[in-house]
This record gives sequence, C-alpha cells and structure tokens, in this order.
Amino acid sequence: MQVFFEQLVNGVMVGSFYALVALGYSMVYGVMKLINFAHGDLFTLGSYLGYTFLVWGAAWITERAGLWWGVLGAILFAFLANAGAGVLVERMAYRPVYRAGRLPLVVSALGMSIFLQNAIMAIWGPRFQVYPGGLVPTASLRFLGLSLPLLKVVILFLSLGVMFVMYWIVEKTEFGAAVRATALDREMATLLGIDVRKVILFVFALGPALGGMAGVMNGMYYRSIQFSMGWNYGLKAFTATILGGIGNIPGAMVGGVLLGVVETLLAGYVPGGGAWKDGFTFLILILVLIFRPTGILGEKVAEKV
Amino acid sequence: MKSKGIVMLLVLGAVFFGGQVFAEEPIRIGLQAPITGSFAIEGQMARQCVEVAAELINKQGGILGRPVEIVVADDASNPRDSALAAQKLISQGVVAAIASYGSSVTEPAADLYERNRVVCVAYGATAVRLTMGKERQYFFRTCGRDDSQGEFFARFAVETMGWRRIAIMHDNQTYGKGVAEETKKYLEPYIREGRAEIVYYDAITPGEQDYSAALTKLRESNPDVWYYTAYYPEAGLLVRQAREMGITVPFVGSNAVPNEDFVRIAGLEYVVGTFMTQEPLPQDLNTPKAQEFFAAYRAKYGDIPSSPWPIYAADALFALAQAIENAKSTKPDDIAQAMRTMENAEGITGPIVFTERGDRKGVPYAMYRYNEKGQLELFKP
Amino acid sequence: MGMELSCVRKGRFQQFVPILLWGFVSVFPFLPFVNDYWVDVGFFVGLYGLLGLSLNVVLGEVGLFDLGHAAFYAIGAYTTAILNTTLNIPVLLLLPVSALVASGFAYLVMSPVIHLRGDYLCIVTIGIGEIVRIIIVNNPWGITNGPNGITGVGFPAFGPFVIQTPTQFYYFVWAVVALVAFVLLRLQRSRIGRAWNAIREDEVAAEATGIDVRAYKLLAFTLGAALAGLAGNIYAAKMAVVSPQSFLFMESALLFCIVLLGGLGSLPGVLLGAALVVVFPEVFRRFASFRLLFFGLALMVTMIFRPGGLLPRKREILGLDGLDVQGFSAEKVSPVRMGQVSLEERSPVQPRELDPCPLLEVQGVTLRFGGLVAVNQYDLVVYPKRVTSLIGPNGAGKTTLFNIITGIYHPNEGKVLFKGEDITGLKPHLVVTRGIARTFQNIRLFPSLTCFENVLMGRHCRGKAGIVPAVLRTPFQLREEREFMEIAAYWLYRVGLWEYRNELARNLPYGRQKYLEIARALATGPELLILDEPSSGLNERETEELMGFLQELLQEGITILLIEHDMNVVMGISDWVSVMDMGSKIAEGSPWEVYNHPRVIEAYLGKEEEWVGSTS
Repeated sequence: MQVFFEQLVNGVMVGSFYALVALGYSMVYGVMKLINFAHGDLFTLGSYLGYTFLVWGAAWITERAGLWWGVLGAILFAFLANAGAGVLVERMAYRPVYRAGRLPLVVSALGMSIFLQNAIMAIWGPRFQVYPGGLVPTASLRFLGLSLPLLKVVILFLSLGVMFVMYWIVEKTEFGAAVRATALDREMATLLGIDVRKVILFVFALGPALGGMAGVMNGMYYRSIQFSMGWNYGLKAFTATILGGIGNIPGAMVGGVLLGVVETLLAGYVPGGGAWKDGFTFLILILVLIFRPTGILGEKVAEKV
Repeated sequence: MKSKGIVMLLVLGAVFFGGQVFAEEPIRIGLQAPITGSFAIEGQMARQCVEVAAELINKQGGILGRPVEIVVADDASNPRDSALAAQKLISQGVVAAIASYGSSVTEPAADLYERNRVVCVAYGATAVRLTMGKERQYFFRTCGRDDSQGEFFARFAVETMGWRRIAIMHDNQTYGKGVAEETKKYLEPYIREGRAEIVYYDAITPGEQDYSAALTKLRESNPDVWYYTAYYPEAGLLVRQAREMGITVPFVGSNAVPNEDFVRIAGLEYVVGTFMTQEPLPQDLNTPKAQEFFAAYRAKYGDIPSSPWPIYAADALFALAQAIENAKSTKPDDIAQAMRTMENAEGITGPIVFTERGDRKGVPYAMYRYNEKGQLELFKP
Repeated sequence: MGMELSCVRKGRFQQFVPILLWGFVSVFPFLPFVNDYWVDVGFFVGLYGLLGLSLNVVLGEVGLFDLGHAAFYAIGAYTTAILNTTLNIPVLLLLPVSALVASGFAYLVMSPVIHLRGDYLCIVTIGIGEIVRIIIVNNPWGITNGPNGITGVGFPAFGPFVIQTPTQFYYFVWAVVALVAFVLLRLQRSRIGRAWNAIREDEVAAEATGIDVRAYKLLAFTLGAALAGLAGNIYAAKMAVVSPQSFLFMESALLFCIVLLGGLGSLPGVLLGAALVVVFPEVFRRFASFRLLFFGLALMVTMIFRPGGLLPRKREILGLDGLDVQGFSAEKVSPVRMGQVSLEERSPVQPRELDPCPLLEVQGVTLRFGGLVAVNQYDLVVYPKRVTSLIGPNGAGKTTLFNIITGIYHPNEGKVLFKGEDITGLKPHLVVTRGIARTFQNIRLFPSLTCFENVLMGRHCRGKAGIVPAVLRTPFQLREEREFMEIAAYWLYRVGLWEYRNELARNLPYGRQKYLEIARALATGPELLILDEPSSGLNERETEELMGFLQELLQEGITILLIEHDMNVVMGISDWVSVMDMGSKIAEGSPWEVYNHPRVIEAYLGKEEEWVGSTS
C-alpha cells in the first residue's frame, strides 16, 4: 500500500510537470486553435537559455545573494527571452499563414519545430549539457514517510500557482474576456473592437514563456538537457490538453496530472509495463475520447445547425 | 635581385615537386554516420574521430603512398536514408565504407555494399545477426557483439560476485535490448541450476527524464544487482535519481554507459562505485596508437571522445588502411581477403583481428569500476 | 475555411505537362547522369508518391486530420515480412494481402473513432501510429522481432523474372503508382470522389444532402490504408529488412507535409510533394548537419507563399457537352421521385383539394437539451401538394423541429411518420432517400465546389454505382453519371443559375446562394421540400420571384414545409400555418385564422399592443 501511495505521488509529481508545459501549450491552442508543434522546442530553448544564464551569469548572483536568487534569475531570463522568441516565431511562421486555414498552419508548425530543434543543435551542439551542480538547490522534504525533493514540490506548487493566475486572468479580468472572445470567434471579436493583435501577442508571449520556465525547471531538476528533448514533452502537452478538454485551463492542469499518474501506475504495475507504457497511455486517451469526446472537463457544445 | 628570383624559383620548384608526392589520386573511403537525427552526437563524433585518424595516416605517408580522403554520408539513423547514403557512397566510387551506427540502420546498407562488392566495416552495430545471419563476404565490424557482453556479465555476476537476484533494464532499442536479451539468454543455465533469478526485466523510454516509476518498481523487486544495458544519458539520470531515492543496489552499466557525460549527468558522488562491463580501455592498453590518436584529437577538439563507438570508427579506418597496405591493392576482393587474414593491424583499442565471419576477434570484456576521482579502474574482486 | 482549395486554370500547355512528366519518369534511369544512387532516389520518390496518394484519399479528398498514417504503412510492411519469412509466401502475392490486412486493421480501429472531429481525430491517429510502433518494438509472441526487425525478405517475382536491381524496383514502384493514380483519378471524378469532397467542405450539409458520411469516411480510411499497405510491401521487398525505425511519428508527419505541399486532393501535386521531400535532403547533403534546418525553413516558406500547395487541385469543368439546356422540357425530367409520377398526369393548375392522407406527421415530439425544453409535445401534419408554414418568434425551436424531422436530432419523446413509415431518429442521409430534402437557415453550401458540383451532389443518394464501376467506367456507371448531370443541369437552369455553373459556390451573391441550395435539395428528388427561412435576406422583388417559384414546384407535385418570418410569404402561399413559441404549439390553422389569433399576436408583439398593418 505504501508503494502504491509512493507511485501515486510519483505520478502527481511528474504530472505537475506535464501540467506546467501543457498550460503554456493550451494557451496558444485555446485561442489560436493552432497545434503548436514548436512548443516542445520552445521548452527546450528555455532550458538551454536557463543553462546559458546559469553558466555565465548566475555564479555572480549566487555569490552575492544566495542560491535561490540565481535560480530565480535563470527562470526570469528564460521566461522573458522565450516570450520574445514566441512572438518572433508567431510573426515569422504563423501570421502569414492564418488566412490559409488550419492545415497549412500544421505544416508550418512542423517546419518551425524541425527548424528550432536543428537551430538549437547548431548553436549549442548535439552533446548533452548538464546544469551546473553547485548552482541548483538539492534539499529534500520528508512527507508521510517519503523523501520528496524540494525542487519537485516547488514545481508542483508553481504549476498550481500558474494555473490559478492564468485562470484568474482569463476568467476574471476584462482582458481575459477579450482573450476568450478571440478564442471563440476571432472575426467577431475584431468587429467588436477588440484588439485581436494584442490578444495574439499576449498569448504567443505567455505560452512560450511558460514553456521556457518549465524548461528551466526541467533542467534544474533533471540536470541533463539535449536538443531533441522537446518532442516528447510537446506530445505530452498536446495529449494532456485534449485529455483535459480543449481550451480549458483547469483542464490542461487536470490532464497533465492525470497523464502523469496514469503513466506512472502503468509503468509501476503492469508487468513489462515500462516498455508498453506509452502505448497504454494512448489507448486510454482514445477510450476517453470515445466516451467523452470533448475531454474530461470539456463542455459539450452543441453545434448550431 | 637576381638571387631573390632564383630563390623564389627554387622555393616554388620545391613546393611544386614536393606536392607531387601527394599529387596521386587519393584513396576515397566512405563514412556513413548519423550526422543528424537522434544520434547526432555519435555520428558527429564518429566523423571527427575518422578525420583525425585520416590525418594521422596521411602524415605518415598515406596508404600505398596515396592520401586518404574521407567521404561522409549522413544516414540520420533512418533505414531509408541509410540505403540512400550507401548508394551515394557507392556511386562516388569509394574503395571501402565505414558504416554504420545502429544495427537496424546498418543492415540495409550492408546488403547494398555486399551486392555492390564494397567492403563495409561497421563500428556501432552490435546485433549478432549481422554476421551470423546472412552470409556476408564484405562485412566486418570493429565493435563487439551483444552476446559476448551478455555472456561476460552473466558469468561475472553469478560466478565471480555471487549475485543471485538480477535486475536487467534496457531502453527497447536495438543495442540496449540486444545486450539485455543476450544477458538473459546466458543467465538461463544459471537460472536452471537455481543459482540466479531475474527479478526485474523491463524497459524505460529513452528521451524521457522522470524514471521514478521504474525505479520504485525496481526497488520493490529487491535485486542484488542492477544491470542497465543501454546509453549514458538515461543511465546518468537513472543513477542520480536512484541514489537520491535511497536505492543503494550496485549498478552495472554496459559499454555505452561509461564516459565523461555520464559522470557529469549522474554527478560524481553517485558515480563512485558503479560498475561497467567494458572492452579494454585505451588507458589500460597503453598502445602507442591510442596515445597518438588521443593527443591529436585533444589538440583539435579539446577533449577525448565521450563514447566508445566513434573510436571503433577510427579503428575501422586503421584496419582498412592496414589491409590495403597488406594487399597492395584497392580491389574489394583483395581488401576483404586481407582483412580476414591480417595479423598486423594496430588500432586504438588494440590489435584488430577479424574472424572468418567478420567479427572482431578477442574482444575481452572486463569489469571496471569508477573510483573517487571519477575515473574507470579495472575491478579486482 | 479561408483557404484557396481550388482554382480554375486554363492553358493548352497544361495538357502536355502530364505527358511530359510521365515521359520523364519512364526514361529517367537511362538518362546520362543517372547512376544507381539516383535510380534509388527515383524509387523513393515513387514510393513516397504512393504513400502520399494513400494519405491524400483521407486528408486531401475528405479532409480528415490523419497524423498516424505510417501505422498502415508499417502493417503492410510487417505483414509482408512476417508472412514471407515464416511461411515463405511469395512477396508478390503478399502485395494484395498486405493491402487487405492494412485496410482491415484500419476498418476495425477507425470505426469507433471516425465520428471525432478535427484535433480529436488528430490525436487519436497519432496515438494509433504510436501504439502500432510500440507493439512492433515490444515483439508480442515473438512475431515482430523487436527493435532489430525482420530480415531476409525476398524479392518479388513474376515466375522466372525477379525484381531486384534498383532499376527494376524503380519501374515496379512507378508502375504501381501509375495504376493507383489512374484508379484515384477515376474515383475523383465519380460520385464517390464528389461525396468525399462534399464531406470535406461541410459534413453536416453533406449528410443532409443524402451522403452517408460515416460510411464514406470509413471507406476513405480503408482505401488509404490499403494503398499504404501496398507501399509497405514494396518497401519491405526493396530493403529486405523491416524495422520499427522506419515508422516513427516523423514519417507520418512527412506524409502529411507531402500532401499539403502538393495541394490537397491534387494527384500531380502529391507526386511533386513527394519528389521535393525526398530530393531536397539529398540535394542538401553537402550541408551536413544543416540540411534539416533548411528543410524546416523550406516547409515554412512554402506554407507562407503557397498555402494551397504547389499544384493545387483545379475543379474541372465537367463534361457538359451535348446537354441541350434550352431544350429542357418537363418531359425529360420528373421532379418527383424518378419514375413514379409522370407529368402528363398532371394538369397545369392544381385544384387544392384536401388529400386525406398526410405526407408527414409529427406526433408529440419533445426534445430536451439538458434542462431546457426546446420542443414540447409538438404535433404537426403536412398534407401533400400543399404549403405548410411553421412560424413563431426567434428562438421558438422551429429549426430544432426541422432538425428532428430530418434526423439530425433524436427526440426524447414522440414520433415522426413519413408516408406512414416511422422515420424517427433515422440518420439524415437516409431521411433524404425517403424523399425529404431541406435547406438551412444559414446556407450550407460546399463553398469550394462549383455550382454545378453542388447541385450534382444532391443527386448522389439516388446513385448506385460503387467503387468498381466508377473505376472501370462501366456502361451502367456512365449512364448514371449522364443522368445525374442532366438532372443537375436541369435544376440549375430552373433556378436561373445556369450561367454560374462553373463558378465556385462561395463567389455567388447571397440571394443566388439561396437558390443554389434549393436546387441542390431539389436534385435529390424529394416529395417533401423543407425550407428554413428561404426569403431571409431577399428583397421584395426577389421574394416575389421565390414565391412564384415555389408555386411552380407545388404544381409539379412537390410538397413544401417552410419556416418563415416574412408575413407576405406566409399569407401569400401557405395553405396551413402552425405557430410555435418556446417549443410549444400555440395556434394552428389557415393563414387568416392565425394572423388574427390573439395568442399569436401576443407571442410576437407582447400583450396589450395593437398589431397595426402588416409587417414589411
């Protein structure tokens, strides 16, 4: 029983991480209906940017102000730089293609993903980079008999925090209403005087920025990063978003955590499960979609005929 | 004025005639490697190693007095690209090819080289099937095979160390699963005798980072030893996460695990005391070739290669060079014959001798262990 | 979709391009600079062309978001590899077998999920692709041999003639491509291809026009999978070894790019896309580690400048020669179900007697959406050859009632009877075959198809020609197509849109679009025509014309059920009016009875208000 509980906690931890990535992903997806294949690579970019910051700049900050300030610096740097990168990506690869419809956007996103991945490889090299040990906190907490790394707990609460902030922005503020309106009907929103371009800018800055932040946290916790690591997370983010319900912020969170838990339990309890885990995860996703076509928290929206 | 002119003419003449030594047509040898794709690190390092080896060879006069030229073709770890890369090299008239990395990627290329009668030396393809399956006359490999490593571990674990409960973890790819399967096979007799038991046999997903689920399961199976048969990135993560979870089971990695990046990723504190099944390390062989090679490589790239396979690629070039010298010909049949029979090829990893079927003879595995300084030492139980 | 899916291209040169290209393909291996390497490149262009064609059926023609197509490719390859190496079945024989196994798999796996839309279908197909690959890697029961794959696949052989050299494989794959392209071209121009395109344009409209959307979607997947299975067999034979490395997600993504680069639904475009995708990285080999960088860039650039594809599908001008439009007389075409009522039986002016037998009966129909009761115990009777109008304030539930009658919604209670048959909850396309056709409040045309094609789509449900007759162009199929075109032409002419026949539907002005939709509905050969606010958006003159047109239809034997807001129309042509408010019936009777009914007035205007004059 203890083991089951432990695996459950493992799952929630991994899941909270997926949730963090999924939150950034679902921002763009919810508003633009764009499957941003490049999100995983923006996540990777974030982790590399954080790495660069830590290696070059953080030592100076850490000496003066302590470990956590160096960490904060890295996160902030990646967050801002990624926001810029996201906006750039949107202008270069997506904006010129909106008028053409959804399918060309998918190809453009795929192209951007390949481009980013190889660009990262060209800039930082194909080798695995390792986050410097001395600059990252490694303490652990004891909780109900389990030893939990402090960083992981921080990530969990960070995801929750981000989710609440995003939820508040989108549901409770005027700008958030504009975001929601744009998501529902972009043309109509423009006609109502909403500055859709601002909304798109916001979304493409915040989404990748969150992805970048997740990337830095990933680098700090798991230590090693590589140019091709983003693909996996991108796919998990997409899966989590659909699982939880498209365009639904709490849904992305729920989807992410659920995905983590399902994966972990499959790996832990099915014999030879580690090898089959991804297969089963997709199977479960498909079954969920058959019975709840709009995802777990998605609303059933009747199409007006 | 006049004397200056004469000096100039003399210098030009010397340069011109000196250059004549290498004005002969170069011997072109192809290198097929994953320059792009998920194993780009291995491919790019392989290219660097082979190019350094080529430079060394050329500095000593080349092969048969002719310079060696390396033609690189990217196979992106993809069977289709591999076939096209092989065809490309063949069409470019290479005398022989060093190919490739990844057994399932090497196979279609090997077939093509065989059909076109071009000698092919693999450096990162360990599947037994490549030499023991189809009859191949022109195929060789400088790396070891999955079964020799598996056999060594099985024997060492049970006989030498007395480990009974064995956990085997791999990554479901050709190399990792290959070694794992062979290990399992060689443990069979011990299992029948009741001297060993496989308590854990599962795969992790490469490219992921969180292995807490797998590690928890591993811990619950209560093994005496944990053998991880795949690559160093995941190995590093696994070791770190396991030790942080408080799992103290002895860890043994296969020959793709130990390298500098593994130490960096896992962290020195956790690496100390881990075991590795390895072919003899260059540092233990102390061959002049190894010293020469690493000095040259370090001078050019600042560091030695972090993976065994690119070194095998360089050795493939050394083997080919020697074979061509021995045969005094660049015809494929002569080269193949020379490869099979030669005894005088020296590589970074020691003397290179091939069996009748093209395997590297005498790849003795040994158990190594990381010491406090993060270096591998031969383990004496 | 704001995408330019098709364009009308002209030029005599265009005719020679395919001939030149096929000529090039035929002599390619013999060109001077071409060695075995280039022949192999040519082989892979052909193979990926075949794969592109297979995905095109699903993605290009039907518009289904398939990002897991490599799964079918893998199944074809592994079927060949397994059966050849274990049971020694000849590879050539396994060509159709692989296609069958792949298509069988597609049928089984897609059936439960085919109803999913857009992105949901996308993630499901990605999932299927990954599941197939993971199954292969994990080697269940030892049949796939895991990550190392299966080696020793034999060569295809026609008796003594074995296909093994690069040149032989080249011609083999291109022969298959030619055959497949031929079949797909025939299908494209048949009622099946048209139905597929209709589904892509607007699924709901397609279903309401009589197309069995689910069946056609499954057909597309099954056919697409079969073709991918063919490709798998050829791949296995060529490489002699199959391993899971060849079937990663990237492969499916690449196929997706091929179809979009070439142009959705464009066969030559797909082949061009395949050529680009295969040749580009080869040509860029010199850039070593940067070649993928450039490839990603190239994809983006192409989508920015040519999002419709490099060779977008042009909507062909269907062969309309020999159709004497002016000469259309009533004898040629019977608007009521073919062969049932001939026009000689009718007199020019129909006396409107009460026919005791109702055509359509709605009995106690109730529909709830969660807590909201949209339709409440509604009864409605429609007698033949009369105009019945359903009126009521906005949001009363009128369109919902129509949707129930036509099968889009299932009522919670009650029945719908048509000519005595209980059609409650019958699928929309079946309702059409029974003889009920409808138009939509918000006009649902097929925007990227021409007007003629739109109307032609209406005739689909009356056709019987399947895939085989379509490909072989049997006399039966040719006759049927001819008949379809005549009827479509007739109706297009009747609604006054003949001159717009080759114009894309979305380019028409609003008023004419309404008529186009009516023409499409009429082409289905209905007995009952259900129109949802046909006069909305029309001016006075246009409304008068519409009323006249409806009168003509009445005289030709068609029964009409309308939703209307324009009182002139209601008063002008209705024989019977039913009034709905908040889901319930509040009045019913002749137009004048209803016009003066206090409850009706109240519903529209509120209490204590005098309804002065008529609406205008």
